[in-house]
Amino acid sequence: MLRFFGTRLAQLALVVLAVTLLFYWMLNLLPGNPCVAAFGGAATEEQIAECERDRNLGDPVIVQWAKWGGDVLTGDFGKSYLTGRSFGEALNTALPRTLLLLVYSQFLALGAAIPLGLWSGYKQNSVSDKIASGGAFALLSIPVFVLGLVLILVFAVRLDWFDLSGYQPISEGLVAHFKVMFLPSVTLAAGLLPVYLRLLRTDVIGTLQEDFVGTARAKGLPVRHVLIRHVLRPSSFTLLTIFGIQAAQAVNGAIVVEFLFDLDGVGSLLVSWVAAREFLLVQTLVALIAAVFVTVTTMVDLLYSVLDPRVRRK
Amino acid sequence: MTDVTTTAVTGAQPDIAPRQRRHNVALWVSVGWLILVVASAVLAPWLGFLDDPHKPLSGPPEEGPSWSNWFGTDQLGRDMFARSVWGGRLSLSIAGPAVGIGIVVGGVLGVVAGYFGKWIDLGISSVVNVALALPALVFALFIVTMLGQSYLNVTIAVTILTIPAIARIARAQALRFAAREFVTVADMMGAKWPRLLFREVLPNVVPALASIAFLAMGIVIIAEGSLSFIGVSVGSPSITWGNILSAGKGRLEDAPHIALITGGVMFVTLMALNFVGDEMLRRLDVREARI
Repeated sequence: MLRFFGTRLAQLALVVLAVTLLFYWMLNLLPGNPCVAAFGGAATEEQIAECERDRNLGDPVIVQWAKWGGDVLTGDFGKSYLTGRSFGEALNTALPRTLLLLVYSQFLALGAAIPLGLWSGYKQNSVSDKIASGGAFALLSIPVFVLGLVLILVFAVRLDWFDLSGYQPISEGLVAHFKVMFLPSVTLAAGLLPVYLRLLRTDVIGTLQEDFVGTARAKGLPVRHVLIRHVLRPSSFTLLTIFGIQAAQAVNGAIVVEFLFDLDGVGSLLVSWVAAREFLLVQTLVALIAAVFVTVTTMVDLLYSVLDPRVRRK
Repeated sequence: MTDVTTTAVTGAQPDIAPRQRRHNVALWVSVGWLILVVASAVLAPWLGFLDDPHKPLSGPPEEGPSWSNWFGTDQLGRDMFARSVWGGRLSLSIAGPAVGIGIVVGGVLGVVAGYFGKWIDLGISSVVNVALALPALVFALFIVTMLGQSYLNVTIAVTILTIPAIARIARAQALRFAAREFVTVADMMGAKWPRLLFREVLPNVVPALASIAFLAMGIVIIAEGSLSFIGVSVGSPSITWGNILSAGKGRLEDAPHIALITGGVMFVTLMALNFVGDEMLRRLDVREARI
C-alpha cells in the first residue's frame, strides 16, 4: 500500500518537474523582459532591478527553475508585482471560498444522488427510474455556464430569492452566506449529480442480485432498511473510486461558477493572474493544485481498500 | 478473420422492441440535428439568408425573436441567429480537429500501451493517470496563457485535454482484444507484431473510438465554451458560443434571449452528441468506455 502511494507521488513529482521546466524554457523564449510585463509597463528602474533579482533572470534557465522550485518548497511562493500582494495573502482570501463551494456542492450532489440512485436501482425501469435517468442524461449535457445563467435568471433576477452581490463569509450571518452560496453550489452540484446517480444505480442493480439481499428481505426487514443497511455499502465502491476524478472535474466547474457568480475564489484568482500575465504565480498555483489533486486521488484509492475488505486481503 | 469478429462484435443486441424503436427515433432526431448544425456551420459564408454576424442594427437592439431576426438581436442590434451559426462554426472548427487529433494520438498511445504491456504500458499509463487526476480546465488556461490567445493555441490546449481520456479507453479495449482467441491463433500461425497490431487488434478498437469521438466532441465543446466564457479563448471580435453567452450574462435582466437561445442551441447539440455516442457504445457493446 505504501509502495503504491510512493509510486503515485513519484509519478506526480516527475510530471510536475517536467511541465514546470518546459514552462520555464518557453517563458525564456518569449520576447521582452518579463519583469517589465509584470508591472504592467509602469515601473521604475529600481523596481525592475529588484524583480529581476527576485526572479534570478541573470541565471541560465535551468538554474532559474531550480531556484523557483527551492523557493516553493521552502514556502516562498512569490508575489504579484502589479498589486504588491503576496501569493499567500491572495490565497488566504480565495481558498476558503472555493473549498466551501466544493464541499457544499459535493454534499448536495451526494445527498441527492444516494437516495435517487438507491431508489432508481431498486425500481429499475419504473417510471420514476426513467425520469431520473432521463434527467441525469439532460444534466450531463448542459454546460455549467448555461445552467448557471438559467438559474440566475429564474431565481436571482426574476424571483429575487438569492443575492449576486459577491461573497459573504459565514461571520456575516448564515442567511446572508447561503443567499450567496446556494445557487453556485447547486450549479456545480448539477454537473456531479448525474455521474454519481448513474454509477450508483448500476451498482445497486448488481448488488440486489446478491444472496445476502434476498436473505435480508426473507427475514422480513423493511425495504428501506435493506437498501440503506445492506445494499448501499457494497454498492458505493465505484462511487468512491470516481470521487477523486470528480473532485478534479469539480474544480473545472468551480472556475466557471466563480466567474459566473463573482465569488473571487481560487479559480478567479487564476483567471485574473492569467489576464495580468503573472506567469510565475500561475505556474506556482497550477503546480500546487496538481500536487493536491494527485494526493487526493491517491488517498481515495487507499480508502477504497480500507472500506472493502476483499481488496485489503490481496 | 477480422471481418468475422467485427460482425460478431457489432451484431445487433437482442432488445425489447418498443424501447429499441423509441431509441431509433431519438437517434435519428439527434443525427438530423447534428447534420443541421454541422452543415450550417460549414456553409455559413455561403448562406444568402444569413445576416452578417458583425453588422450592427440588423434590427432594433435587444429585441426578442421576430420574423426578420429569428433569434432576436443583441445589444448592438446584431442578428443573433447569424451569430449563433457563426459561433457554432468557430466552436466546431476548434472541436473537430481537436477530437480528430485526440483520437489518433490517444488511440495510438492507448493501443500501443494495451498491446505491448510491460514498461511501455507502465510509462504511458503513468502519464495518463496523472493527467486524468488533474483539473483539465486549469491546464487549458495555463497552456493558452503561455502560448497566447489564438485559434491555433486554443485548439492545441483542448486537444491535449482529450488525449489521456481517449488513451485510457483505447488501452482498455486493446487489452480486451489482445487476449482474444483470434489474436492468439494469428500469433501461432506466425504473424508478426505489426500484423497482429494493425490487422487484428486495431480494427476492433476503431468502432469504440468512433463512438467515443462523439462524447469527446461534447466535452471539447464544453471546454472551449468554458474558456471563451471566462474570456481566455480566441480573441474578442471572433464569435464563439462561449463568448456570446458571456456577453449575454450581463444582459440577463433586459435581454435574456441572448443567453437563453444560444445556451439552448448548445444544450441541444451536446445532448445529440451524447445520445449518439451512448447509443453507439451500447450497440457495439463497449464496456469500460465512459469518459
